[in-house]
Amino acid sequence: MINLAGNKLMVNVENLSVSYRQQRKEVPALRGVSFAIPRGGTCALIGPSGCGKSTLLYVLSGLLGSFSGRVLVDDEPVQPLRRQTALILQDYGLLPWKKVFDNVGLGLDIRGINGRERTARVQRVLLEVGLWEMRDRYPSQLSGGQRQRVAIARALALEPDLLLMDEPFSSLDALTREKLQKQLLDIWQKKRMTVVLVTHSIEEAIFLGQIIIVLSEHPGRVVDIVENPRVGEPGYRKTPEFHALTTVLREKLIP
Amino acid sequence: MHERGYIKKTAATAASIAFLLLGWELLAVMLASPALPRPLPAFITFVREIPAGLWRHFLISSYRVVLSILLSLALALPCGMVLGREERFDRLAAPLVYLVYPVPKIVFLPVLMVLLGIGDISKIALITLVIFFQILVPIRDAARGINAGVINSVKSLGAGRWDIYKHVVWPAVLPEMLTALRVASGTAIAVLFFSETIVSQEGLGYYLLDAWSRYAYREMFAGIIAMGLLGFIIYMALDYLERRLCPWKFV
Ligand SMILES: Nc1ncnc2c1ncn2[C@@H]1O[C@H](COP(=O)(O)OP(=O)(O)OP(=O)(O)O)[C@@H](O)[C@H]1O
Ligand SMILES: [Mg+2]
Repeated sequence: MINLAGNKLMVNVENLSVSYRQQRKEVPALRGVSFAIPRGGTCALIGPSGCGKSTLLYVLSGLLGSFSGRVLVDDEPVQPLRRQTALILQDYGLLPWKKVFDNVGLGLDIRGINGRERTARVQRVLLEVGLWEMRDRYPSQLSGGQRQRVAIARALALEPDLLLMDEPFSSLDALTREKLQKQLLDIWQKKRMTVVLVTHSIEEAIFLGQIIIVLSEHPGRVVDIVENPRVGEPGYRKTPEFHALTTVLREKLIP
Repeated sequence: MHERGYIKKTAATAASIAFLLLGWELLAVMLASPALPRPLPAFITFVREIPAGLWRHFLISSYRVVLSILLSLALALPCGMVLGREERFDRLAAPLVYLVYPVPKIVFLPVLMVLLGIGDISKIALITLVIFFQILVPIRDAARGINAGVINSVKSLGAGRWDIYKHVVWPAVLPEMLTALRVASGTAIAVLFFSETIVSQEGLGYYLLDAWSRYAYREMFAGIIAMGLLGFIIYMALDYLERRLCPWKFV
């Protein structure tokens, strides 16, 4: 499975179709979706509301097991509870009854990692996202951006090689969103885990996705896969190429 | 910050007690009937009656109520969480719950007495039977209402069924559980009163009814005060528990 460049595929999806059962009717959500993401790459999923982006992420995380087609994660058929996969959902990630520290440590608790190892890991990731001072607060005492960073910290604490994010920044104001996008980029450049990010924002897709997968209206099909190799270059957001790509994507999304 | 909230709350409690006593006083003065003694004489009788035997009735009633609450909680909490989360079980149990829930369970007292005798056990069984459903239904609904996103994101951390119960379902139903217990404790005391007025020789219900039959209205009101006190103590205990168990609600 290793190709000549030594670039293993982290995610390989072939002809994936998913349908939900609703009142005895099969409602298709995704139809014949194929794409691949190399190990250590980033991918942005973009498409109109209801086209199946979250569904696709659920399939990749292993939480949704009923689909047809082939989905390989790290060369293995996708399975629930793969230990190196972390999923961040939009709003519901954090448990209101746990303090920041324990929210971040939750994945470790569940995996039976405790004691000094747990403390050390939680401290490290909280420092990484700049929230160590907030460790004794409850989620309700944090701003939206801080909460999202806690959710990211919780995922990072698992030391994932595949990070799945469902519209992680969409409820934030523009300024905070850009800051967090940059922070995510920094983290990715340091750790080089594979990132799959669902977004509604064209800018965000271009800023973060080396591969941008454009999905069609419901049921989701791949409209196009856009390569965007300059992700992570300093000042990319200000280049003419960035803006040109915005226009290209906008046209693909709103034909 | 916490300190101030606590003082505020104590002040509010004191104010509402004062308001209650004032209303009582006014009503008693207006009625001017021995059937409604004024608060002060009633309280004096209450204090006198405590060493004279009221304390024993109070303790027995407290024991019955508290044990019933604990018992029904121990039964309803796991059942409610499981029914709320596991649809298969709920499908089986829901018709049963809705059939039995509205039945006035006090009609079972004679049966319970035949089965369990006329002592504590039949009374505790009756109270438990009544409030079990009052606790079960809110807990089940709270467990059912947990956002699927919360469950999924904890699952994505590798959580199995047991982890979900431990980290999500249990803390999520806690506030509902305490609210349900507040309602249930009121019901429990009412059912207790009823059960203690039937073939009974001890407990506040017996004490009250006995005073009533002797037209000893001040003693009757001493019994009422004792019952109110019992309810108040349970309420305060639940308040304290909420602070201890749900600290995230108070930040
Ligand atoms: N549990 C479910 N049962 C039935 N249908 C569902 C379920 N979840 C999603 N769907 C349907 O599947 C389709 C895809 O949903 P999905 O949540 O994946 O969309 P999305 O692209 O993430 O949308 P958004 O951008 O609004 O979040 C939608 O039409 C939705 O109505
Ligand atoms: Mg979605």
